[in-house]
Formats: sequence, C-alpha cells, structure tokens
Amino acid sequence: MENRDVVIIGGGPAGLAAALELKKGGIDDILIIEREKQLGGILRQCIHDGFGLTRFGQTLSGPEYAQRFIDEVLAMGIEAMTNATVIDLSGDKVVTAATPKGLIQVQAKAVILTMGCRERTRGALAIPGTRPSGIYNAGVAQSYMNLFNTMVGREVIIMGSGDIGLIMARRMTLEGAHVKAVFEVLPYPSGLPRNIEQCLHDYGIPLYLSHSVCEIMGDKRITGVKVVEVDSAMRPIPGTEKVFSCDTLILSVGLIPENELSLAAGVELDWRTKGAVVDENLQTNVPGIFAAGNVLHVHDLVDFVSLEAEALAKGAAAYLKEGPLEKCAIEVGMDAGIGHIIPHRVSGTKDFQISLRVRKPVGKCTIMVKQGETVIASLSLPKAIPAEMIQFPVKAEKILTGERIEVSVHVK
Amino acid sequence: MNTNFDVIVIGGGVVGSAAARELSRYNLRVAVLEKELDVCNGVSGHNTGLLHSGILNEGNTLRMECCLEGNAEFDQVARELDVPFKRCGKLIVGFGEEERARLETLYQRGIESGIPGLQMIDAARVQELEPNAHADFALYVPSAGILDPFLYTIALAENAVMNGARYYFNQEVTGIERADGLYRITTVHGVFTARWVVNCAGLYAFRIAEMLGFPGYQPKRVKGQYAILDKKTGKYLGMPLYPAPNEYGACDVHVTPTVDGNVLVGPTIEQIGDGIDYSVTQDMLQVLVRQGGKMFDYAKRDYYIRNYAGVFPTILDPRTGKDLDYTIETKPEAPNAVNTVGLNSPGLTCALPIARRIVKKIQETEPLIPKETFRPTRKGIVRFAEQTKETQDALIRSNPDYGEIFCRCECVTRAEIKEAVHNILGVETVSGIKYRTRATMGRCQGGYCETRITAAIQEELGRKKEEVLLNQIGAYMFTGDVK
Amino acid sequence: MLSKRTFTCIVCPNGCTIETVCADGAVKSVTGQKCKRGEEYVTQELIDPRRTIATTVKVHGAPWPLCSVRLNRAIPKKDIFRVMDAINKVELQAPVHIGQVVIANVCGLDSDVIATKELPAKE
Repeated sequence: MENRDVVIIGGGPAGLAAALELKKGGIDDILIIEREKQLGGILRQCIHDGFGLTRFGQTLSGPEYAQRFIDEVLAMGIEAMTNATVIDLSGDKVVTAATPKGLIQVQAKAVILTMGCRERTRGALAIPGTRPSGIYNAGVAQSYMNLFNTMVGREVIIMGSGDIGLIMARRMTLEGAHVKAVFEVLPYPSGLPRNIEQCLHDYGIPLYLSHSVCEIMGDKRITGVKVVEVDSAMRPIPGTEKVFSCDTLILSVGLIPENELSLAAGVELDWRTKGAVVDENLQTNVPGIFAAGNVLHVHDLVDFVSLEAEALAKGAAAYLKEGPLEKCAIEVGMDAGIGHIIPHRVSGTKDFQISLRVRKPVGKCTIMVKQGETVIASLSLPKAIPAEMIQFPVKAEKILTGERIEVSVHVK
Repeated sequence: MNTNFDVIVIGGGVVGSAAARELSRYNLRVAVLEKELDVCNGVSGHNTGLLHSGILNEGNTLRMECCLEGNAEFDQVARELDVPFKRCGKLIVGFGEEERARLETLYQRGIESGIPGLQMIDAARVQELEPNAHADFALYVPSAGILDPFLYTIALAENAVMNGARYYFNQEVTGIERADGLYRITTVHGVFTARWVVNCAGLYAFRIAEMLGFPGYQPKRVKGQYAILDKKTGKYLGMPLYPAPNEYGACDVHVTPTVDGNVLVGPTIEQIGDGIDYSVTQDMLQVLVRQGGKMFDYAKRDYYIRNYAGVFPTILDPRTGKDLDYTIETKPEAPNAVNTVGLNSPGLTCALPIARRIVKKIQETEPLIPKETFRPTRKGIVRFAEQTKETQDALIRSNPDYGEIFCRCECVTRAEIKEAVHNILGVETVSGIKYRTRATMGRCQGGYCETRITAAIQEELGRKKEEVLLNQIGAYMFTGDVK
Repeated sequence: MLSKRTFTCIVCPNGCTIETVCADGAVKSVTGQKCKRGEEYVTQELIDPRRTIATTVKVHGAPWPLCSVRLNRAIPKKDIFRVMDAINKVELQAPVHIGQVVIANVCGLDSDVIATKELPAKE
C-alpha cells in the first residue's frame, strides 16, 4: 500500500483549489484522484460564461475557469491521477480506487472530500405517469449536448427553475429546439435572477411559478406533461390541470451532495445540506477528513467553491504539520428562516466564515449571529433569496463564552 | 432467414423462456417470438421478485403443485443458471385477535398443502428474525426467497439460445393459420412456420389462445404499483414482510428486499378489467407510503428512487367466478398447439414446472429425443462490485476495462457494459443493458453512466444516435447530432 | 412623458433589481444597483441591448467531438441567431487552444468567436 500525506477525491473546482492551496502551504505529498479522463469536473460541460467574477474579476466560461487551475496544478507538479474512480474510503483513511492498471490502495494522513453533487431525479420526486424515453436531468442533457454532440430533443418542457435548467433552456433554444415553458412548484424561482433574465426573458420562454408537473404522458417517447397549479401549501388546485405536448422533459429540481464515500468512512451528515457536519476548519467528525465545495453543501457559484476549498487547505495543512486540530465545542444553530448553515461547530478561538441560505425569499433584512443576547456578527441585506448563498466572516474576538451560537434572519 | 421450426413459443417472458430452455433439451428446432425488444418486458418483469412458498395459494390446484415444485428446486436452478437468489424466508405479520385467526387459517391451509417449515411465532421471535418489523405475532414461512426476475428470465433465455433455440424480437404475432400440418404464424415483420405452437403470451395469452382455437378467456386484469427504495434501506430488512390477509383474503402492500439490497414497497391492488396501463398515480403512491410505513419504518418518501407498476394477467373462471387456475391444455380440434392461460403470480416460481408440463404435452403426441450436447449451465456477467478487492485487482489486470467504472452508484465497469452490449440474445437497448448489469439502477438513476452507456451502444454496435432506444421501438433517446 | 422600467442586472450574480425613469428618451434616474456596472448595463439596455453567447463547434482529431466557444464582446441581442448560423458553419481541427480565434469579427459585429477549451490532437 502506498502512503500519502493528502489524497483529494475529485479533481473538479474544489479539489483543484484545495490542492493548490495545500501545495502553497508547504504540503508536497498530494494525490488528486479523478474519475474522468480530464480534470475540471462539471465545469467541462458548463460552457456558458459568468464564472470567475469574484475569483478573477472577469467573466469566463466553465472550461476556461477550470483550465486556469489545471494549468497551475500541472505547473506546480501536483500529481493528479485521472480515469481512476475511488470505490471505497475507510474511517482510517485508506482510499481504494479502480484504475485501468489495477486496484490501488493509498493510506492517507488526510483526505479531502471534493466529490461534488448529483441531480435529484424523477424517481426521488415520484412524478406519476408513464415511463417513456425523453426525460433528462438538466445536467445530463448538458453533458449530452456540450460534450457528446448529442441532441436530446426538440420540443422541450422544463420542470424546476434551478440554474442548470435555466441555462439549458437557453442552450437548447440556441441549438434550434423549442423550449415551451418552465414550471416551478414554488411561488418563486430556484435559480438566480440574472439567469431568469438572460436565459428565459431574452428568449421569450415563459416561467410558470406555483405549477407542478403532475403526470408524464406517452408510452414510448414522452408526448406531453400534465401540469397543475398549486396553492400556497403546494396542494394541487382542482380544475387547473393543463396538458402541454412535448418530446422532451428536462428536470432541474435540485442537487444533492454526493456522499456515499463519506458515509463509508463514518462521516456524519447534516440532513439539511445532505453534506458532512463540519467545524470551522471544514473538518468532518472523522479527524483528518475534510470536505469542501458541492459535496459539503450545494453552492450557487463556482467562485465560492474555490474560495471554500482554499479556506479548507489552511486547516488541513495545520492538521498535517501540527497534528489534531483544536476541538470545536461551540455549536452553531439557526432559526426557521435559514435553510442551512456551514460550519456546524466552531472553537471560538479562530475567525471563521459563515455560509448560509435563507429558506424563503425576504426583502430588507439582517442576519444576526448571537450568543445568548450578545450579537457577535451581523449582515444587513437589501434582499435575500434561497437561490443565493450568503457568506460573511465572524471574528473570534467577539466570541467570549462557550455558549451555543444562534444565527437568525430578521426581516425589516 | 430460415423461419421453419419444430416448435415456436409465443412470448419471451419467464414462462416462454423456461419453455424454450426445457425444449432445447431435445432434438428440436425451437424459436421464441417476442413482441418487445427484450425478454421479460411484460408481467415477468413487473412484480415483486419473490420465490413464493405457496402460502397464499389454495391447495389442490395446478398453481400450488407447480409452486411447491418450483420452490423446492430453486437452489439448484439458481446454481445452474448463475443467478442471484436468497432463500431468506418471509413473515406475514399481524396485530390483534382477528388477524391472528386469519393467520391461523393460512397456517393450517399451508400445512395441509405441504409447505415446509411453517411456524406461528410471537413478537419476541419476530424481533429476533427481523428487528425492524412491527408485529404482535407472525406466520414465518422459511421456504420463501427473493430473486431477480430479469436476470432469471435472461438466464433462461440465454441458456436456451446456447442450446440452439432462436429468439426473434419485435415480432408481435398478428395471425396464426394452419395448413398442411404446419402452423403459419404472421408477425408484424415476417412469417414463421412450425409444427408446434406454444402460447406463453402472458398478458396477451387470451388473444393468442383465440387465434389457436381456444376461445372464451376473459381477462380480468389487476394492476399493482410499487416504489423502489434506496439501497441505504436494504440493511434494515432481511426478509419480506406481508400484512395479514384483509377480510377479502388478499394481502395489502408488503415490503420486500431485493437481491441487490434495495427494498420494494407494494403492490397496491387495482382492478383494471381488460386494459393494460403501467402508469403510476399520486393516490396510490400515498397508499404505498402509508401502508408500507406501517410495517417498516424506512418505507419513507426520502428513500424513494423510482416507482413502477405491474399488470397481472388474471383470467376470470366462468365456472367459479374466481381467478382461473393455471391452465396448460391441448385439444384435438387444435392439433400440435399447447395453450397456457391464467399464469399470474407466482409465475416466476412456477416457470420451470410449467415448462416441463408443456414439454410433457408435446410428448403425449410425439416422442422427443434428448440432445446429447445440451448443457444446463450458463454463466452470468461477473459483477465487479461483488468481488473481493483481490479479485477486483485480478480482474482489472486480466482486462483493463474492469478498471473503468461506468456506473458509480452500482460500481459497474466498462467490461460488464461491453459484455451486456454483446449479449447472446442480441439485445441493444439501454434498458437491456440496465437489467443485465444494474447500471443506471442506483440513486442517481443514470445521471453519471447513461452518457457512457449510450456511447458504448453507438461504438460497439455501430449505431447512429437516432437509433439508440431506451427500451422499445419508438422510445428513441436522441434526435441526432447538435453540430 | 415619463416612462419607468425595471431591470434585473445580468452583469454579476447579485442580479440587482434596477429601476429606471426616462423622459423623452433621456435617462432621468437609475436606482437599485449595487455598483457602477449596473448603471452601465441598464443604460446600454435602454438603447441597444447586447449579449454574449456561448456554444460549441465541431472539432476533428480530438478526443471529444466538440469544442466550446464564446464571444469575446457582446453583440446586439437581435443578431444572436445570425451569429449562431455563422458559428454553425465552422469546423476546427485539433489541437485547439483556449483563446484561439475561431471567427474574427463575426458578422462584422466587432466581436470574435474564441475557443474556450484546450483540446489536444488525438494520439
């Protein structure tokens, strides 16, 4: 068995950024394991622009954004093994990967989880109806179109207003498909406002909020969907059913962190994020196993994925150089206005970054971070929507007790 | 194409494939005509995947006779055909005195029918056998088991083909005539002739029966809806849990582990007359959640990865008004035709016993000469995911394609996909590959591997994008190139 | 005559909601934007809406059949499909490098179509 200081599982934006920052922090013995034949992860198929505004101050396409990191990884001599799929991770940090040369096993001192996320499927939603061909998750359709030169259909209905679905609405329109409508069950869109604007409005594609696809039709290829309006409790309103014909249904109904390997290693998960429970160092409950990017919680922008992975590298480097990290005993909780929050635990002796999403769209509001009645940090916003991740720093000097930290939204 | 055969079997479900396999033991030219693009597309593939004990069947019926016979021999059958099978037993659980009485009745009937090992057990023993079951008491049926309906049917069909039988897919039968001692069978794509015809058409058996001169069978179909739960739930359920029969004697929704570690919840029961309808509906999904959750805590919406429906080919017996017993018949007015109808549950368990009775019907008319070259064994695709790490490493070193994971949820390799694409039956649909390898069956439902599988179909078989099909003619995956 | 319009800024992920008031074709006020780029965006949007597009072109001799491309400068919104037609006529030969100009000054719109992916020649 090989020994390594760090094994990074996944060579997408999070894994690449973590590798670079570790290297810069003086860690040399790094191995990135990537299941695809190239590095870059999901960015390889995200050919639209809009990446890099925060990180590089310019707008790039996904492949360009990824290439900047790939070039640097190669230039710094970091070892990356592609076409290798990790099939097991043990609690004592033995990584097993299948490669065309054989099964490899690596004993790592630290493991970085950067496996990204997968799409929620039709089955998980249990949409009634038949099971014809022509139903694709948005990311799968994107892969077919942008990587495999494969057109999935012509008359398109999109279910869910997640960002990938919106991006695909525009992408398919540009390639000559007729995108008839986007249906969202919630009373507000799941994707970012700019994507509603530039992917739907620009091309005259209607978005129906509070609408649910209640039946899939067609025995062979899909022939249509039945759609129903829902009330504020998301119950179908009788008599509002309508049929839309189509040959393709694209689903953009949410992303789920890919944590099967984490579970195998005994990593505790948060039911809200479906990612690991982590401390301020982004370390999981298993010492020496860290997580960042979409495997930890689903991000809105890749820039934040990179930044999070870079932040992780500091803690991971400290773990490798100095041994076990300081215990994080202060829990971070939230009120009903917040969907989820990272980190889950802090030490109180280090500055840290809070990442969260609100549960519902709200107008002018303040996010308050409190210990008891003492406000230790706050952020005022003109508006907050679930589509956007909100991040702000908390200073250690403000944390004076070991009391639980509560984060809440106060709407003005 | 030579289209003259000694025996033509109509229908490539589990019974038709078992019949083809049993007929291939003899010096006969055997063909199977199947209307779909793969075996196991109808009732054989839409059910619970149970090796039944017979406990839910009435005694003194052909159904019961075949069930006991099929159940007893299945360990050997599974070995011969290299198919997954677990004799895990099952529990029919009950609450309260009324249900206890019903279970006692079942127990007595089962004992009389000769079902081995039956026991009435108390709550403590239920807990011991199945810690996640909820019950006051239960009827324990140790002879029940679980199998994979697709792999079993595929194995029977492959073994038949290895022994000389031929499969013709996309050949829906539209007419049967008899002239000069031969049957002339017209399908949507050709004409086949045979000395013998065997009707194994499942849901459509009544229609083929009519063409063969066995009229008057009225379908009274039952539809059942199921949900499949994530493999995460599999470790919490060791054996199927059935509720005690309701006042009409039927068992409501049950939970059943699969050989792959998923859990099935279902079926719901709906009478649908003579239609066929595989759609799933919102109201029945709610029934599944409610009834499944009563017996098993993990039958929750959070764990759903997919749902499906089955349609069971029940025939109304005009004499009794009940379900018709299994019927395997010949008659002088329809010479050289073996007709089967009413083959509903437990058809998987009974397939080989039925097949042997079909062979016997032919032997009543003519002697059959055993084929010396017949081989009863067949090897399945080696599953990388189920091997030890040492074997996995050895597999990769013998063939690097094992080192490339195509389906990450089920850990299926390129080598397995290639083997499936080049299957002996000549199936080339995405679903055909799925059932042979489990690729796309996991929690991401093909999000990762479907692009690879469709690419493999194009590369390995030289197909165009427009020619890649999900599961049937017309179920095209793509409209063509983007550029 | 006063006319009000509301925009969602697409320049960055903030997606600011920006209100504009115009009178007789002249912009009177722009409010709601977090930064200067928002103001520039709506001013442009009021007179001549422009967009960039991203798509793919066929590539020969590479491990993948397509190379992703984008425009390096925004073009008038009304010309999007005309530019798509022009891009669809082009095919590339590997190797392809990021930033490589695929079509210079596409349709005379003062914008180049550039490659956004590194594609080596197939071994």
